[in-house]
Amino acid sequence: MIDATLARLTASGRLGSVNGILLVFAGWELSARALSGAFLLASPTEVLAYLAQNPGLMGRALAATLAEAAAGFVIGNLAAMALALIVILTPRLERTIAALALLVFCLPLVATGPILRVLFGPGVGPQVTLAALAVYYTTFVPLLVGLRAAPATWFDVIRSYGRGRWTELVQVRAAAALPYLVAGLQIAAPAAILGAMVGEFTGAERGLGVLTIRAMRGLDVPGTWSLATLAAGVSVAAYAGVGWIGRQLSSGPPPVILAAPVSPGGAVGPRRVAGGFAHLALIAVLVLALWTGLMDLFGLNPFFAKRPDDVWRFLVTAPQAAEHRATLFWALAETMAVTLPGYFAGLALGALIAAAIVLVPPIAAVAMPVAVALRSVPIVTTAPLIILLLGRGALGTITLVAVMIFFPTFVACLHGLRQAPGQVIDVFDSYASSRLQRLMLAQVPAMLPAFFAAARMAVPAAILAATVVEWLATGIGVGSLMALSASLSDYGMLWSAVAVVSLTACTLYAGVARLERAVLAVYASEQFA
Amino acid sequence: MAAERHPAAPPEVTCRGLSRTFYGRGGAVEAVRPLDLTFAAGETTALVGPSGCGKSTLLRLIAGLEAPTTGRVEIGGETPLAVRRRAGLAVGFQDPSLLPWRTVRGNVALALRLARQPADEEAVARLIGLVGLDGFAGSRPAALSGGMRQRAAIARCLVTRPGLLLLDEPFGAVDELTRQRLAQDLPRLWEARGTTTLFVTHSVTEAVMIADRVLVFSPRPADVVEDVTVDLPRPRRADIALSDAFRALTERVSAALSAGFAAAERPLAAE
Repeated sequence: MIDATLARLTASGRLGSVNGILLVFAGWELSARALSGAFLLASPTEVLAYLAQNPGLMGRALAATLAEAAAGFVIGNLAAMALALIVILTPRLERTIAALALLVFCLPLVATGPILRVLFGPGVGPQVTLAALAVYYTTFVPLLVGLRAAPATWFDVIRSYGRGRWTELVQVRAAAALPYLVAGLQIAAPAAILGAMVGEFTGAERGLGVLTIRAMRGLDVPGTWSLATLAAGVSVAAYAGVGWIGRQLSSGPPPVILAAPVSPGGAVGPRRVAGGFAHLALIAVLVLALWTGLMDLFGLNPFFAKRPDDVWRFLVTAPQAAEHRATLFWALAETMAVTLPGYFAGLALGALIAAAIVLVPPIAAVAMPVAVALRSVPIVTTAPLIILLLGRGALGTITLVAVMIFFPTFVACLHGLRQAPGQVIDVFDSYASSRLQRLMLAQVPAMLPAFFAAARMAVPAAILAATVVEWLATGIGVGSLMALSASLSDYGMLWSAVAVVSLTACTLYAGVARLERAVLAVYASEQFA
Repeated sequence: MAAERHPAAPPEVTCRGLSRTFYGRGGAVEAVRPLDLTFAAGETTALVGPSGCGKSTLLRLIAGLEAPTTGRVEIGGETPLAVRRRAGLAVGFQDPSLLPWRTVRGNVALALRLARQPADEEAVARLIGLVGLDGFAGSRPAALSGGMRQRAAIARCLVTRPGLLLLDEPFGAVDELTRQRLAQDLPRLWEARGTTTLFVTHSVTEAVMIADRVLVFSPRPADVVEDVTVDLPRPRRADIALSDAFRALTERVSAALSAGFAAAERPLAAE
């Protein structure tokens, strides 16, 4: 019976996506007509008309953004592959590299953008760098999982022929990792467009991001909606395109990535805690050394390039340090006050709607393809729209953060709900148990690992979304503070904000990862073992 | 105490013109050819046949987990769905299919909950003891060996006191020694209750050791090539395998299996 349902689902999958997308457009058109005159919502027909009227302008901007995104995509993914290779060939460096990679991923793009702008000057440097920063982590994590995904017996086969790590890597790991790499690249494609656009927000000459800022400042509603639609459409197309190429390369089904990036194990108990602290100290020293070292290496101007001791002075020993701290931490508190509700709302809605929807398979068939498509929309680039619709208050930011978190969580949970082990669903069927019972007793617990993986990856995303909205629109919080500091050349504050925000994001990420490991140990013991 | 709750009388199972064809990308695959079969109430039947011959599909058809392409199944005059609704049957799958986040106790108790029967800690504990998992009631499946998981799954099947027991290679994925022990010990559990039992196995000795009747199937589509009555006395001890009667029966089953292969015209390529 489950088979029949699944068969129906797959058969109607294509039809479902068409239906779903038609539904989205119909709803959009209708609400636009209902709200006409409120200057908030441009209908699909208006968007099409706008695009048709400005083909040259839009085409040039799109070409510029795509070129930056493509360059960032290549650089970021090559970096991810290089990092993953280093980890696989020298397993002892894993925890250190994973921690550094996470820290760089947690850097607030809102602040790195202006810093890069000063570093690179005009041109595409910041956009390409931000695009690369936006993609490398989401490729690195699944790739690392994939490189380890090969069954142990495969390695025994290689060793039984007297071959070493390199053969292992080429013959076994690369093959096993391919579907994971494809999954990572697929998510990276729209992320690169997001990174490029955020880079353009920081003051580029051309690109979709530049036009978006201009349209928003000019209250150009059809323009804002057209740009967001174009960015969303291109992102969905990039996601689908990479997926298609991936399917030509590997036959395996797309894996669900559950495992935390750092493998568990090692010492347990107090020794492990002590080891953890020692490791944390090592990372801290390494980060400080890299921070200073890179600045010395490039001979950066100390007025602009603040070093760790400058940040320390700014926040702790300077005469106005207390004032600086108050400003920074108050702004951070403002940001958290909108980020956390949005984060939890997005997670809760994603999980609840996914769980509710599996009770009604026909709806799941329609919702799944739409959600997969919308997940690839760089939500942050639609920030201007949400501000147009919901205003500049807290509600707008909370909604944007929630929307940003919702789609990946929803998709991960829908996948997770299908992860019930072995023939467990058959066991439930053999007692003719109800759908609700099956959901509550088997599917929801089996979904938890996917849910927590999504929750972990959502932490930096939530902070990114909140700070971008603060920067572009609301004018409060640490996002606005960073933008303001950049424009006032208050680099002490800017670098301090970067340090504090990254540290906060990493701490929250690590907290969720810890919770995730505890959940995995019970709910996905087979993956954990 | 649970012993006071009398199990339903074991049902007779009949299949009339039962077949199943799967339609996939590669075209239609006939898994089970139209079959007419009757399984007597309280009897234990072993289904033997080559891998992928459709035995498991037949079991799933009888349980109603798979819809037949043609024909129907009756269990004591009822449809499989009606029987499942009142937890009149239990299925043991090849994969023990325990919930990894529940303990052995929790997994066994789950069946009572799904069967809408009152929680009965005592019955759960007794069955865990009967399958030899004393001291592991609080362990999660990840901490158990393959054989222990299989035994936990069998305890889960038995705890609801079903009249019909459908076991798909209940001792698969278990080492030979454990397998022999399970094959000797566990049938006593359902024999004592007079359950109608159908079980799929690859092992000819296991089939003859446990069953009252052995059905030998041809390669796909499943069709009965031999119907062997096992009239060995019960209870059967391990040394019965040394008797001439036992050997004659196993030889008969093995011969039927080989004949089925030959009929399917799928010889192994030479070298």
